[in-house]
Amino acid sequence: MRRLLQFLKTFRDFIIFLLLQVFILGLFFNSKNYHRSTLSNTSSSVVGWFVEKKHNITKHFSLSEANDSLSAENADLRALLPESFYKLQDRTYYINDTLYEQQYEYVPATVINSSDNKRDNYFTLNKGASSGIEEGMGVLSKEGMVGFVVDVSNHYSIVKTVLSENFNISVKLQKNNEHWLLKWNGKDNKIAQLNGVTRDIDIQEGDKVVSRGSGGIFPENQLVGTVHKISSEDGKTTLNVDVKLAVNFGAVYHVYIVKNFLKSEQDELENQYMNANE
Amino acid sequence: MNNNWVKYGLIFILIVLIQGLVVNDIQINEYFNPMVYPIMIMMLPFELGAIATMAVALLLGICVDTFSNTFGLHTSAALFIGYLRPVVMRYIKPNEGYDNTLLPIIQDMGVQWYLLYSAIIIFAHHLWFFSFEILRFDLILLILAKTFCSLFISIGLIILFQYIFYKSSKK
Repeated sequence: MRRLLQFLKTFRDFIIFLLLQVFILGLFFNSKNYHRSTLSNTSSSVVGWFVEKKHNITKHFSLSEANDSLSAENADLRALLPESFYKLQDRTYYINDTLYEQQYEYVPATVINSSDNKRDNYFTLNKGASSGIEEGMGVLSKEGMVGFVVDVSNHYSIVKTVLSENFNISVKLQKNNEHWLLKWNGKDNKIAQLNGVTRDIDIQEGDKVVSRGSGGIFPENQLVGTVHKISSEDGKTTLNVDVKLAVNFGAVYHVYIVKNFLKSEQDELENQYMNANE
Repeated sequence: MNNNWVKYGLIFILIVLIQGLVVNDIQINEYFNPMVYPIMIMMLPFELGAIATMAVALLLGICVDTFSNTFGLHTSAALFIGYLRPVVMRYIKPNEGYDNTLLPIIQDMGVQWYLLYSAIIIFAHHLWFFSFEILRFDLILLILAKTFCSLFISIGLIILFQYIFYKSSKK
């Protein structure tokens, strides 16, 4: 007994250090594996306040680029308006359209804090639960897929970006609908990877990679990037495919949060089916 | 003594805000990820024990993690140097021992001692941080490259911080 007490006394510091490390690292690895956060982050109200104040100062530095990109998008959208088409028929008919039901709605938001050089990169957005944002909603920018929401407070939300270890969102080739999970290996923040591409698939450099829309997080056919490089290793049945990301994660300013009105319906049906099979 | 703890509390808040709002935004490329907050642990009084140092490190790490969305990574690295600091100080003790009226800052202890002290502590901190951030043996060169690139900027920022906010304790 005395020996044990003696031992505990000599190694007291080390034991406390070890216990704290195990606890903290446990929280850290948990945050990687689950699509939600365990420790507090920049969506908490006090820190969010500071981050927003900082954003109010620094946003002016990139304002002209943000304006350029918005006006370019406006021009694109304006080209789609009915006014910009020449009427071929004089008479138009009003049709109450029951073929289409709105599935997606977009909430505009601003990135107030971001990182793009870490192993897992998160954005903080200035919209939260009070704007109807919930965990699991997708986030798009004008260029393409950005990430999805992992934590919300009343006024802020945290987005796990494509540049994260376990991003795992389903993407597909636009031309033939072959689909894989998108990964990022942490080396280059402009390049992501596709795993498990077999050699029999018709894939070429320059092919467009788009979202598959399977989990109800993103609409289908949102641009993710283009195939940048295809390399093969001897003895492996799969190819290594690098995807050049469409979004420049160092300069994302305005984003859209995707609300899917039919997601709960899809989840419910899928869960029902899974449970019935078990 | 009381006055001293108020001073440390204010410096703590200042350091967390500087790290969270200014230094975190220094994102030159993936190799440079400077950190200034280890100075909070480095400049605690000489006689402070490992457990008290780790308590400060725990609180500091959680605050920095909250600002950087790293969910425990900074806390882990801060705890590591909190545990390591008494050991390092024992190894690099000057011949005449430590004078408890002084602080481990560059103005009090001289450039040579301070560079050695900060290089060991920051190296340990960065190596721990980037190892757990990347956590792959085949990327060991990337871990080392990130550690060394960030090391120089971090030490530069830490020394700059002391010249801005500190005066020598010697009368």
